[in-house]
Amino acid sequence: MAINLTKGQRVDVTLKKICVGLGWDPAADGMDYDLDASAFMIGSNGKCLSEDFFVYFNNPKSKDGAVESSGDDRTGGSSEGDDETLSVEIDKIDSRVEQILFVVTIYDYENRKQNFGQVKNSFIRIYNTLNNEELCRYDLEEDFSVESAIEFGRLYRRGGEWRFEAMGNGYRGGLEALVTKYI
Amino acid sequence: MAINLRKGQTINLRKEDNDLSKITIGLGWKVRQKGGLLGMFGGKEPEYDLDAVALLLDENDKIKNIGGVNLIGSDVIFYHNLKHPTGLVYHSGDNIVGGTGESDDEQIVVLLSSLPQDYHRIMFVVSIYQGMTKKQNFGMIDNAYIRAVDGNGKEMFRYSLDSDPTYQGKCTMVFGDVRRDGRSWKFSAVGDAYPTDSFVHIAQNHLYT
Repeated sequence: MAINLTKGQRVDVTLKKICVGLGWDPAADGMDYDLDASAFMIGSNGKCLSEDFFVYFNNPKSKDGAVESSGDDRTGGSSEGDDETLSVEIDKIDSRVEQILFVVTIYDYENRKQNFGQVKNSFIRIYNTLNNEELCRYDLEEDFSVESAIEFGRLYRRGGEWRFEAMGNGYRGGLEALVTKYI
Repeated sequence: MAINLRKGQTINLRKEDNDLSKITIGLGWKVRQKGGLLGMFGGKEPEYDLDAVALLLDENDKIKNIGGVNLIGSDVIFYHNLKHPTGLVYHSGDNIVGGTGESDDEQIVVLLSSLPQDYHRIMFVVSIYQGMTKKQNFGMIDNAYIRAVDGNGKEMFRYSLDSDPTYQGKCTMVFGDVRRDGRSWKFSAVGDAYPTDSFVHIAQNHLYT
């Protein structure tokens, strides 16, 4: 049973391992759609602890080993399910990390003149790895028609606990815009 | 690029092209731990036997050469047919129990750049041998993964077979494929699992009748 969070809603995460799944359909013809899931592990100053704590297609694992990518799918494959995943092991997260921001972006969106509104059956979801229960899910095609980058949600510390907040902030600048903001 | 990164930053937001002159499919899993309830009562728990398989497909998405008896000498590379007649696709050999779960226990290597023009697509499949009769599925096996590595040794994609609950009851997965893309090749992850324990069921969809 999925909880479809509206912006700003929060859930407690009393979980050991969660997964961010990104899926989309391949282009019927023309240029491929290449969607990427990335994570910024952010400290108390609002910036990534270091480049090693930015998990993206050229850095598939964070320095503390807590966030790991399944790899870079450049076409959307033909899977009905997730085409790319980021798995998060809560216990391994570096103690200096205050929040983990999950983003989804379109690679080379400028040259290919692409935005989420064109990508069929695109979604991003976050779920409990053990029972596949979804904490949150966005339909990217409908919700973000002109954007090429989305801050999809964040995991953050509150007291000794981790919570998840759905964000859904869209941007037009691709991953570059977010790197400028958080690195 | 529209971005100006600060000095000393090493973040590279360009994707390097994968070197698909060669692709290696690696399959790893952990040996079944002894003991447990059955072990205590003297019963024997069956091992997990995972198999990596490659199907070479022609321009019609079919297996052109089905070889002799039981696919020997065919365009299907598996535990009984470890080397393709061209010598350009080869299997490291059948591991029937697994290993540490840290490194590849079976590998299939395809020398894509030399492959004859007749071959257009190669599908990679992983199955649990006799998994249905042994009532096994991917979800039960510790540290099971399948991965694709390019010609530079860079891992392109990896599925953890043990962690995804959607693999319950499934003993065969189409892991991914490589297809011709102009003069080069393109790898795609697929990840579709099926409730069968034989890659033959997948191969049957690609036979000339």
